[in-house]
Amino acid sequence: MNKIIRLCFIFITSISVMGCASLGVEPWERDLLAKKEMALTSSPLDASLDDHIYFSKEASSGGKSFGGGGCGCN
Amino acid sequence: MSISRKINVNLCQRDNSAFIHINFQAMASPCEIIIQSQDKQLAQRLASKVCTEVWRIEHKYSRYRTDSLCQQINTNGGLPTPIDEETFLLLNFAEQCYHLSDGLFDITTGILRKAWQFSPNHEVPEQSNIDSLLKYIGWQKVKYNQHQVTLPEKMEIDFGGIAKEYAVDKAILLAKSITDSPVLINLGGDLAVTSPLKQNKPWQVAIEHPTLTKQQPDMIIALVSGGLATSGDSKRYLIKEGKRFGHVLNAKTGWPIENAPRSITVVAPQCTQAGVLATLALLQGERAENFLNEQEVKYWVRR
Amino acid sequence: MVLGKNKENIKAALSIATSTLLGIAIPTESNAQQSSVTDDWDIESAFLFYSEAERVSAIEGIISANKTFDNDEVLNLKFTIDALTGASANGAVAQPYAQTFTRPSGQGQYVISGEDTPLDDTFKDTRVQLNGQWTQAIAQDYILSSGAHFSKEYDYLSLGINSNLAVDFDRKNTTLSAGFSYFHDTFSPEGGIPVAFASMLIGDSNDPDWDEAFAKTRLTSSDTKTTTDLMLGLTQVINRRMLVQMNYSYSMVDGYLTDPFKIISVINEQGIAQDYIYEKRPTTRVKQSTFFQSMYHFEQNILDLSYRYMWDDWDITSHTIDSRLRIPVHLFSSNESYIQPHLRFYKQSAALFYQPYLLEQNESLNIDYASADYRIGQMVTLTLGVKYGMFLEKGNELSFRLEYYQQTPENAGFESIGVLNDLNIYPAVKAIIAQVSYSF
Repeated sequence: MNKIIRLCFIFITSISVMGCASLGVEPWERDLLAKKEMALTSSPLDASLDDHIYFSKEASSGGKSFGGGGCGCN
Repeated sequence: MSISRKINVNLCQRDNSAFIHINFQAMASPCEIIIQSQDKQLAQRLASKVCTEVWRIEHKYSRYRTDSLCQQINTNGGLPTPIDEETFLLLNFAEQCYHLSDGLFDITTGILRKAWQFSPNHEVPEQSNIDSLLKYIGWQKVKYNQHQVTLPEKMEIDFGGIAKEYAVDKAILLAKSITDSPVLINLGGDLAVTSPLKQNKPWQVAIEHPTLTKQQPDMIIALVSGGLATSGDSKRYLIKEGKRFGHVLNAKTGWPIENAPRSITVVAPQCTQAGVLATLALLQGERAENFLNEQEVKYWVRR
Repeated sequence: MVLGKNKENIKAALSIATSTLLGIAIPTESNAQQSSVTDDWDIESAFLFYSEAERVSAIEGIISANKTFDNDEVLNLKFTIDALTGASANGAVAQPYAQTFTRPSGQGQYVISGEDTPLDDTFKDTRVQLNGQWTQAIAQDYILSSGAHFSKEYDYLSLGINSNLAVDFDRKNTTLSAGFSYFHDTFSPEGGIPVAFASMLIGDSNDPDWDEAFAKTRLTSSDTKTTTDLMLGLTQVINRRMLVQMNYSYSMVDGYLTDPFKIISVINEQGIAQDYIYEKRPTTRVKQSTFFQSMYHFEQNILDLSYRYMWDDWDITSHTIDSRLRIPVHLFSSNESYIQPHLRFYKQSAALFYQPYLLEQNESLNIDYASADYRIGQMVTLTLGVKYGMFLEKGNELSFRLEYYQQTPENAGFESIGVLNDLNIYPAVKAIIAQVSYSF
């Protein structure tokens, strides 16, 4: 059925050429950034456990995420 | 039509990303296989089997090749052509699509290309010209069973609307039988995956907007399973007296569907299903989005 | 040009037709749903053991479940439970001889040997926490995330809400976010809220007059505090390998910020404790912080480096440097695994009203606030750790983390008096953190 002829879409997955002068990347250059371990909070549970420890043992909290309350420990 | 039979295995393993890319040409499109693995031998084996399968389907069902089964069926002058199980299943599938669409999806409409030439400078054809072709259109005139198919003289069938998606799905089944590693198979923009990436991450698929202006951003689609297919082509239209004629034709009238979107991308459990849903939606004209909403599928429409 | 009346069924019919064409199993409604349920919930769990030498031990367990819905909305539900036992510094300074203190409940005493840092060993608590967070796009490039928090322990109730809006620019390379959170906490400590600066009553709790005398050192049974946090953030993709984040936070805490269990030694000129009084902190605290983080992907390794500077109107300032380096390795199997060393350095200055002890002759002076809690004194802390994670079947991840944490309180310039010269009044606290995590 040639009434619908596909243009071949330019399809790009993760891996592509590097090199961009300005800040930022094109969507198809996100192969590394898209990794879970490249997330700013790569392990949310570790972060939440650490926050709890340091919140209760030190005078500072938050910064990366909300400092919050929620604990009678300090 | 020359098809380069080259498999370009790109063993780039930059940054430990553990992907191997394989590029090849099939169905007049750039095609690729991506495997999330570092096993080069596995990738070579996968590439050779998948390419062989895709080329086999292309060879068998291409309308352009004089030695294809499709061409044989179309040029048999009203006589039956013997078919195998696979072809029977494809014809059966085409029949179901025909019924599901109330006759709008019809693999015998390809012949209309003799009247319509979709490039901006071409003329709108004469009604008489269209009428002369309409009598060679109509799936109900095709007789087939498990062993043979018979087309009335001068009628043609064209698997172009399903063969590529079908090839994607067949290749995916093949890949699954070869490896457990996540594989993506992309035949010119119609693609499917065998599984999510390791750690259950979705494949990030970027689809570039096909207009010349490139004003609209790329679509980024997170694909965990199944496939996606796109119907439509925003470069193929002609303008006559200020009216835009898109290339999507109504099988019943022989004229372009009015107010059809330029392209539709659909995600579905199989690429074939996605392709048919996208095509059916396109045939709904201005109701395309309504139709897709009713089907509760994930879709993107470019108008 | 409308499709027939059975249009709703086209997808289902096509699904069957496609399955027949490909010779694969026809999906049924029930197994399609089953698979979507099992596929959609991502569960992460962690169990942590925290133990200080001679002080508190805690265990904490978390189960966190993420579900992504059809339109990319994400629901996160998190359940946390922890239990704490052991001894905690009560604020008094060590003495050459044994000291007797009254338990916070007023029921009974405990004795601390000479030269030992006074620790109250009555701490025993179990806490249950529930969090729910809903994240969705509200328009192209606008992502809204809102959540609720509930936690309850024996003497503490905390309720909180939060919301954050993130806006993407420039192909999602730049993200600006603004958020707030609000917590309302109610503290009902065992034995009630003590009268600030009241002397700790020490004596025979079986005496008929004890209860009445103890009650005079108590104000109410409970008090509250609220915490309002505002945060502005900027995330920027620098290039294919690098991502940075910058945050500014403003936090207002209002209400009862004193620790009802903490006391201060009142010493004479020889450094000998004459009295113990309950501490008092201001009823407001405004904290601000700036936070900078960068993620850098080397050929193989990933470096996560962050720095936080915090300052508040109690005159506390702090610097935190946190770094993790993730190194992929292949140890036991062909599956990927990684080793991640962790180094954290933290340094804080003392609050304006921090006093390791009060001098008897100054006690009658008009001091507004005082606390001997080492946690708001000058201090340096160091965390050294390593995590090993491995990927199992189907992307499940099992990881182990072991860390050493040391707090080293420092003298912020207080003169050592008399017998205190020979005692360690800034004892270090050493702790081990062990954690197992499993995600599936």
